[in-house]
Amino acid sequence: MPTAISQPSILTEAPRTSAVFPAWFARTQEAAWTSFQQTAAPKRGDEPWRFSSLKELDFSATTRAEFLGEASELIQRSKGLEQFSAKFVFVNDGFALAINHLPKSVICMPLAEALLSHSELVEQYFMRHPATLGSKKFTDLHTAHLSNGMFIHVPAGVVVEHPIEIFHWVQGQHQATFPHTLIVAGEKAQVRVIETFQSINERDATWTIAVNDLIAEKAANLQYSVVQALNTESKIISVNASEISASAVATSFQLHTGAAWARSESICRLLGEESRSYMFAVSVPSHDQEYDLRTFQHHVSPGAYSDLLYKNSLYDESRTIFSGLIFVDEGAHRTDAYQTCRNLLMSNACEANSMPGLEINADDVKCSHGSTSSQISEEEIFYLRARGIHSDTARQLIARGFSIEVISRLAHEASETYILRMLDEKFATLKS
Amino acid sequence: MSLLIENLHATLEDGTPILNGVNLEIPTGEVHAIMGPNGSGKSTLSKVISGHESYIVTGGSVTLDGVDILEMDIDQRSRAGVFLAFQYPAEVPGVSNANFIRAALQARLPKGQDIDAVAYYKNLYAKMDLLEMDRKFTARSVNEGFSGGEKKRNEILQLMMLEPKYSILDETDSGLDIDALKIVAKGVNAMRSADRGFLLITHYQRLLDYIAPDYVHVMSAGQIVRSGGPELALELEETGYDFLKELATA
Amino acid sequence: MSLDYIPETLDSETAEAVNIDRTIGDFTFPERNKFDAGRGLTEKTVDYICDVKNDPQWVREFRHRALKVFRDKPMPTNWATEDLNNIDFDQIRYYLSDGEKPKRSWDDVPADVLETFERLGIPQQERAFLAGVEAQFDSEAAYSNVKEELTKQGVIFVNSTEGLKEHEEIFRPWFGKVIPTGDNKFSALNSAVFSGGSFIYIPKGVKLKQPLQAYFRINSESFGQFERTLIIADEGAEVMYMEGCTAPKFETATLHSAVVELVALKGAKIQYVTVQNWSSNVFNLVTKRGLAMEDAEVRWIDCNIGSRLTMKYPGVVMKGRRARGEVISIALANTGQHQDTGAKMIHAADETTSNVVSKSISVGTGRSTYRGQVHIPKHLKGCKNNTECDALLINSKSRTDTYPAITVKGNQHATQHEASVSQVSQEMLFYMMQRGISEGAAMSLAVNGFINDLVREFPMEYSVELKRLIDLEMEGSVG
Repeated sequence: MPTAISQPSILTEAPRTSAVFPAWFARTQEAAWTSFQQTAAPKRGDEPWRFSSLKELDFSATTRAEFLGEASELIQRSKGLEQFSAKFVFVNDGFALAINHLPKSVICMPLAEALLSHSELVEQYFMRHPATLGSKKFTDLHTAHLSNGMFIHVPAGVVVEHPIEIFHWVQGQHQATFPHTLIVAGEKAQVRVIETFQSINERDATWTIAVNDLIAEKAANLQYSVVQALNTESKIISVNASEISASAVATSFQLHTGAAWARSESICRLLGEESRSYMFAVSVPSHDQEYDLRTFQHHVSPGAYSDLLYKNSLYDESRTIFSGLIFVDEGAHRTDAYQTCRNLLMSNACEANSMPGLEINADDVKCSHGSTSSQISEEEIFYLRARGIHSDTARQLIARGFSIEVISRLAHEASETYILRMLDEKFATLKS
Repeated sequence: MSLLIENLHATLEDGTPILNGVNLEIPTGEVHAIMGPNGSGKSTLSKVISGHESYIVTGGSVTLDGVDILEMDIDQRSRAGVFLAFQYPAEVPGVSNANFIRAALQARLPKGQDIDAVAYYKNLYAKMDLLEMDRKFTARSVNEGFSGGEKKRNEILQLMMLEPKYSILDETDSGLDIDALKIVAKGVNAMRSADRGFLLITHYQRLLDYIAPDYVHVMSAGQIVRSGGPELALELEETGYDFLKELATA
Repeated sequence: MSLDYIPETLDSETAEAVNIDRTIGDFTFPERNKFDAGRGLTEKTVDYICDVKNDPQWVREFRHRALKVFRDKPMPTNWATEDLNNIDFDQIRYYLSDGEKPKRSWDDVPADVLETFERLGIPQQERAFLAGVEAQFDSEAAYSNVKEELTKQGVIFVNSTEGLKEHEEIFRPWFGKVIPTGDNKFSALNSAVFSGGSFIYIPKGVKLKQPLQAYFRINSESFGQFERTLIIADEGAEVMYMEGCTAPKFETATLHSAVVELVALKGAKIQYVTVQNWSSNVFNLVTKRGLAMEDAEVRWIDCNIGSRLTMKYPGVVMKGRRARGEVISIALANTGQHQDTGAKMIHAADETTSNVVSKSISVGTGRSTYRGQVHIPKHLKGCKNNTECDALLINSKSRTDTYPAITVKGNQHATQHEASVSQVSQEMLFYMMQRGISEGAAMSLAVNGFINDLVREFPMEYSVELKRLIDLEMEGSVG
């Protein structure tokens, strides 16, 4: 087919930066492409890819996703919270809808637009830290190809009442998108953002390489949730980093229900006294889905706090990898850091890999990690059955409760309701 | 012979003043009680005398039988004869009570001289019997998993084993039921003698019903504001600490 | 250190017999080696060792194959410390011996070797509480003896050379089976140049009441010690094996790279106790693994205090139903030391259970690392693992890392991993010092308290020594 020839693979040809974008951005993209080509692909024996299915990292037949003209149906399908401050919809990285009730001082717009109108501000925060958990090569590829995303800047002292919603829809056999989300909460600012990734159809095997960076300046409170509900043919790599200044709080939450294969790398950097980081994840893989979740809690400053809770409920032949590291820098005394991964084994064919790690270079620290893998106990089932509940329903209820414990840590009812709805859509497809 | 505190000033590390010129002399053979509302500096005084590193002495002196102890390390002060019965004793996981007390006694012996194990246990058991403590207690880790009452009894047991010249009891009555309080008082009273001095820090008169003080002092805002005989404690029990407000406004 | 924790029940003679510390091991005698393979490792080195030891052809082939594997395998610095690159394999001497056979009586042991082991207290310990002793001096055993009544019961306790020659029918089927040559770079190195170590066979149903002990002594500079131990406990047999080691503190680095294989047949129980106290210039890179058949139990009780770098992850392959594996580990890393230890639990049968308890203490700039691997495949049911690792940091430059990896397949299993990092709190120190205990002694008490529950797992004679060693290490950690 002639159209196939017109689209080169994302690996073969240097992407061209749109002429309208600022020069610094063009240079960044060019440098990223060079770096991508020079960086070796992950191979067996690489610690950051231990237990990973490296065969999934095949982009050879993949092309850049094409823009789709008609999006009204997808806008209809982009149902999130009842009340939101802003709502943006992207289709194959193309901007499709913006509803914005935010105060004027808040910058909230597609990245392509922000690169034109707020070039210096974007440059200040854009890709400040390289990916360090294994996907450097793929974030280079992301940076080289990236054409759009979201830029949100909440200025000092502004409290955004309702969450900002972002919907991404993807489609196209062997087509790739590179969404980029950059959120900055200024001093004492507060904002919640919920981002959702979905496939337009159940058929197309798409690739998504997403980057999202969160910057919480002094005493800010930033909460970011992402729902990954792609179809079970698609693959996604997402790299999330938060930078947290003194007295600021950053919360990063992930729900994984979709995709054939998902790799997530999540880093928090605690840069000031009394900074706090919360990292939460709920994953419910089934069939032969595989989730590869890597985390890094980096205590740069003394007197900071971080907590991580990741829970996986594994059905059928699904597979999970959790690799987490609490890293305490020399001099980062009075660190308080926790990390917990729990696996609920729902079938006799699933596989859970856990690598909870600590690297402590300071004393006067309180650090602990825990990891458990087990099935639902007979006693729990018995208790529910004694109340007249069928055993299948009982198992489902317990698994759901297992996940809800994490979701409730968001402490925001509207967000929790939405995330729970997306979780229940997954449970509805499962037989236990 | 006395524990002499003269014009003692101390602050927290951040400079917040806690003690603002405390004057107090505890001669051997006497029991003194310090009373006062929460936050008056009573407990701080006991920690400053013991050398706790969270406090900075900014003026005044503490001398033990004429020897300045403020330049001494915590353990040197203890060996010189100051004992503090803690309000909240720390837990020491994995170290048995018997080994702990033994280590403390060993530290008081000259190099090369060892504790006689048989005599040690005989002495330990006798004191435990007096305090009605179970023998199993010797094998338990120091204060770990102890109830409030057990911790306080353990403090008194250590006091009886180490036989210090001057003992400071910080809120020893808090969290004790009446039976436990009586046992603790029995231990302290057994130690009273002409060559030992005691300082009781307490919020309530109750303790003083069982350990009769010779003198009572009232502390407020980091100073001793009133001193008197045992009757002062009874007066405070009736009138409370309201008079301090009047003092402050006067 | 004036504190004295020796329990009243231990008589003074026994206490003296186990009285070993670092300074006691720091001496050396002039070398008088009849056989010296020279520096560096080539095919010729391997042939030299084979010739001197008069190895059978199958061993010669085994060694040469291993040498090739050793050369082909990269240094594992993709996950392990770069310090491994400081080992100069061309400077190391791979075989040194006086050509004497191990003696059955201390009276026949050469005077300086005898003096070495007497200063280390080995003959005294043998008399006090051991069923048998093998004492290795550089590459070969100088003394090897087991109580006569045990020999009568069929117990074999010899060095590995004698084992593979005189007992080939038992030795060969298991040799290199628990730890294949290619398991890692250092198991390959050992397989190429191994010498010394023990071969032990405990016949069916024989339960040894007293432990067997091996003592490994390095006397020569730039030397590499590569002992090879194989212990087979036949059905229902029980044995406790203890090993100790020391080396003088030379200017140049010394390498110790052992391979230890344990085989516990049906219902057997093997306990392997190590107190590692190498001087602080020794690279100690050891591979240890046990195979536990049905209802069998393998326990590794391991304490690492010495060496510059230790890399050791004792493992148990639970191959029979209801087999049990356990690792109890204490590590103390002082300034200039890296204790990289852990455990490997491979569940290969139903209803197998494993337990790992690891406690580490980092002092000064010392670094302790825990690496764990737990593997439970899905065709099994009813497997359990429990792992606890706790780290204690003493100084502000002390470092600790924890890297476990747990794989569970299927839902009929339960695993639990917990780790924590803590320090001796200021309040705890204040409390102890207020009782008149010096800061150093208070720190020692707190550290001994931290590991107290694990020290109890060691035979009493060793636990006393352990506490002493830790007190010595803690001296000067404060102030």
